[in-house]
Amino acid sequence: MLYLLRKLGIFVFTLWVAATLNFILPRLVPGDPVSVMLAKYQGRLDPSAVDALKIAYGLNDLGSPVAQYFSYLGNLVRGDFGRSISLFPTPVIDVVLRGLPYTLGLVGITTILSFLLGSALGLYSGWRRGRAGADAVVPAALFLNSMPYFWFGLLLLYVFAFQLKWFPLSGALDPFPGDAFSVGWWGSLARHAVLPVLTILVTSVGGWLITMRNNVISVASEDYLAFARAKGLSERRIVNRYVLRNALLPSFTAFGMSLGFVVGGSILTEIVFSYPGLGYYLYQSVTNLDYPLMQAIFFFIALAVLLANLLVDLLNLILDPRIREGRV
Amino acid sequence: MTVISAPTAPRRTWKNTALGRFFSSPRSVLGAGLLTLFVLLALLAPVLTPYRPNSMEFDAFMGFSAQHPLGTTALGQDIFAQFVYGARLTLLVGFVAGLIATFLSVTFGLAAAYFGGRIDEAINTLINVFLVLPGLPLIIVAAAFIRGGGVWPVILVIGLTGWAFGARVLRSQALALRERDFIAAAVVSGEGALRIIFVEMLPNMAGLIAANFFGAALYAVLSEAALSFIGVGDVSQVTWGTMLYWAQAKGALLQGAWWWVALPGLSIALLGTSFAFLNFAVDEISNPRLAGGRLNLPSRVPAAVAAPVAGDALLSITGLDVGYAAPTGVVRAVRDVTLDVQPGELLGVAGESGCGKSTLAFAATRLLDPPGGVLGGSVRLAGRDLLALSPEELRRVRWKEFSIVFQASMNVLNPVLTIREQVYDAMQAHGVTDRDRLNTRARELFDLVGIQTSYLDAYPHQLSGGMKQRVVIAIALALEPKLIVMDEPTTALDVVVQRQILQEINAVRKRLGISIIFITHDLSLLVEMSDRVAIMYAGEVVELAPAHRLYAHPAHPYTQQLMNSFPPMTGPRTRRSGIPGRPPSLSAEIIGCPFFERCNTRMPGVCDVQPLQTFPVAENQTAACFLYDPAVPAAVKESAVKDSADRAGVVRAGAVRDSQTVLATRPRPSSPGGES
Repeated sequence: MLYLLRKLGIFVFTLWVAATLNFILPRLVPGDPVSVMLAKYQGRLDPSAVDALKIAYGLNDLGSPVAQYFSYLGNLVRGDFGRSISLFPTPVIDVVLRGLPYTLGLVGITTILSFLLGSALGLYSGWRRGRAGADAVVPAALFLNSMPYFWFGLLLLYVFAFQLKWFPLSGALDPFPGDAFSVGWWGSLARHAVLPVLTILVTSVGGWLITMRNNVISVASEDYLAFARAKGLSERRIVNRYVLRNALLPSFTAFGMSLGFVVGGSILTEIVFSYPGLGYYLYQSVTNLDYPLMQAIFFFIALAVLLANLLVDLLNLILDPRIREGRV
Repeated sequence: MTVISAPTAPRRTWKNTALGRFFSSPRSVLGAGLLTLFVLLALLAPVLTPYRPNSMEFDAFMGFSAQHPLGTTALGQDIFAQFVYGARLTLLVGFVAGLIATFLSVTFGLAAAYFGGRIDEAINTLINVFLVLPGLPLIIVAAAFIRGGGVWPVILVIGLTGWAFGARVLRSQALALRERDFIAAAVVSGEGALRIIFVEMLPNMAGLIAANFFGAALYAVLSEAALSFIGVGDVSQVTWGTMLYWAQAKGALLQGAWWWVALPGLSIALLGTSFAFLNFAVDEISNPRLAGGRLNLPSRVPAAVAAPVAGDALLSITGLDVGYAAPTGVVRAVRDVTLDVQPGELLGVAGESGCGKSTLAFAATRLLDPPGGVLGGSVRLAGRDLLALSPEELRRVRWKEFSIVFQASMNVLNPVLTIREQVYDAMQAHGVTDRDRLNTRARELFDLVGIQTSYLDAYPHQLSGGMKQRVVIAIALALEPKLIVMDEPTTALDVVVQRQILQEINAVRKRLGISIIFITHDLSLLVEMSDRVAIMYAGEVVELAPAHRLYAHPAHPYTQQLMNSFPPMTGPRTRRSGIPGRPPSLSAEIIGCPFFERCNTRMPGVCDVQPLQTFPVAENQTAACFLYDPAVPAAVKESAVKDSADRAGVVRAGAVRDSQTVLATRPRPSSPGGES
């Protein structure tokens, strides 16, 4: 219980840090971002948009920075992130909600898939260490893991979409995919998802593989494993109940810890494939200097990663009796 | 002087140094080679190309030519020039941001571990916050506000956000280090905090810090590439990342100039791989658990002659040779050991740390892991050669025919399974599947070793050390095997618990008629409990005798000196002498008697020259000592014994100071070739 409360405390605290960073960062910039944007748009900006910007940055003299900060936090709690500059006057929250399902579907599902696949391969590679096949996957994993996500995506796009025309070049759906959730619609969604999924999978699976392999090798030299072998347990049982159960715990923790990094990288994939998720809108907001949108997207990515972390902590609670006892 | 060399540390050959091991791995050589190549590329950029990377003086999208080996960009820049000059800034980002992040990791990690308490808690919270905040979006948002201004703001942002992972790893390593004796000693002796952190702790973490730097550099290069690609940062600078940005922005792929995209991306991947290889290699060197398995042992030579097995022996070990592969060669930890165990017998095996007694137990039960391996000999249990069984045959025999109680029973129970499950699975693996029978048997066993049956549903961490030990013994008895090997089963327990458990073991043994091999360094305990005792020294059994005989008339000079190390319970107080000197190095070839150097009654010209054999001393008593060799003239033996008596006075008076404590209680070390 104490463990859960602690984790919940860290969750709230981290979210607050993310929100505060969002508040402070724009105010650290020399000059004010509004005039920068006004210069860029050169009169094309709606006067009401300028007002919205000024309100967003506290340039309309709403009071002291402290008062601004609290009204900012209040807006945040109410889900009011202001209005987008580039898509004025759409509220930022609408843009975020439009992109969120795509990102959850693409990055969320693929990341879990990648973790499972990488862990399975890592289990194999660690348990069968010394055999040619099991050892050869290590350098391969290190290489795949060092590739920039977006670059590998570009190559896939060039070969399979541009040259071979097997898959669509961009987007998440055909222009006229048919009724939502119909067979044709799902097919269109799947065809558009193949290359982005492949990109994320190939470039992130190596990390999980190495993590799991190291954990398995650590567990393999534990006394309880020698004891399990001495008992004459079947290899299947040793691998499932002794190696996997123990090696998975630190892997899970590592999963939670690196989620922020992995998701951050994965959203770049959306840019390459013009996949209309949060990463794509983040890119749009960066190129259009749409600061309110940029900040809201950062906040939501942080929120998603933090929620996933909380879920990992819960899983650990179920899997590790020592945590249940409050020993770790 | 003698053929036996004095105990030497393993030779410090090139391959044995950290650097040597580093370069013996193909991975680290490849990593270092790639990195060197890129550094050279960056340094020699002005030599390699006559063009400036940013001059737009050429035609756009030119193909390969002698003047432009990689053609030109959409803006008329030479791609090769961009590539080699781009290496400069890319490497700069990797190194500097990597250094900043590593510096922060080390500072935060060590400070947290050293100061502990509130400071640790605060830093740890900070680490957790930075870990779970999605790094790249944070960098993007941060870098978006510091657009332009060259590459330094990007380096700074990456360095300042990329330290948390390393700090977490270093903190836990430093916490473990903080518990070590030499740090505690430094704290007690009043050394300053900074001195302890930088002089005592830091050098011990060098490997991990280096690995951490390469990891951070990889992260930095990838982050820079990602930032540049989406146009955050300064795209007027030439890095491999900005090359990708321009290639993408100008539609390089659509124009067919695929290499404009392929080359910088591949180079980033290769640079990252070289960092990752180096990270991995350094990690392997500082964490031997991850390495290993690369050294090869010669395969087993079966015992030349199937030794005549005493008809009724339950276990007979014949000419068993066991070694560990070490960088300097094979460490022969068990040498030509021949032993047998009768049904119902308790055979004690004693010897000082490192004499090979645990290795013997592990090898005989086929539990020895690489780098250890059996070099020769045979082990027969009820007539069946254990060393020749297939893995599946071995699995079936294990626990049913023989079980083993480990030295470090604290950690032999799986922390994530209930005790019940671990008692059950031993029986389930051998055909007992009925839940009621399993439950009944588990309760019986717990009654037998004196634990409440309610603990069946506990987890290992909920039990005390003594209770865990009893659980392990209960599991060992589960299938009523004919033989139980007990490797220092009570070493970690206090004396009272130890006695209780030993009495229970003995009672169970007598009731069920099982044989036990009992391994310990506690000779007085063995003499009390065992039927027969084998004394091991430097991997060999030097004496084998019934316990009472060994106590009353120890034959081997080593046994005699061991006996002399224990104070008797009654009688006047006398000074105990240890045995001066140390056992010989097991990696060297030993000619003659391994105890020669330390022996009181050595016979130069005999003991250090002739091959050692085992000679009968009395009925059922044998000793590997030339004093009992009928071929050695009696006069030589007598003069040796006389010299020893003369020297005794001198030894008593002065040599205690540098004597080695013979039978020390030590936790089980994990290093191969040491004690095992």
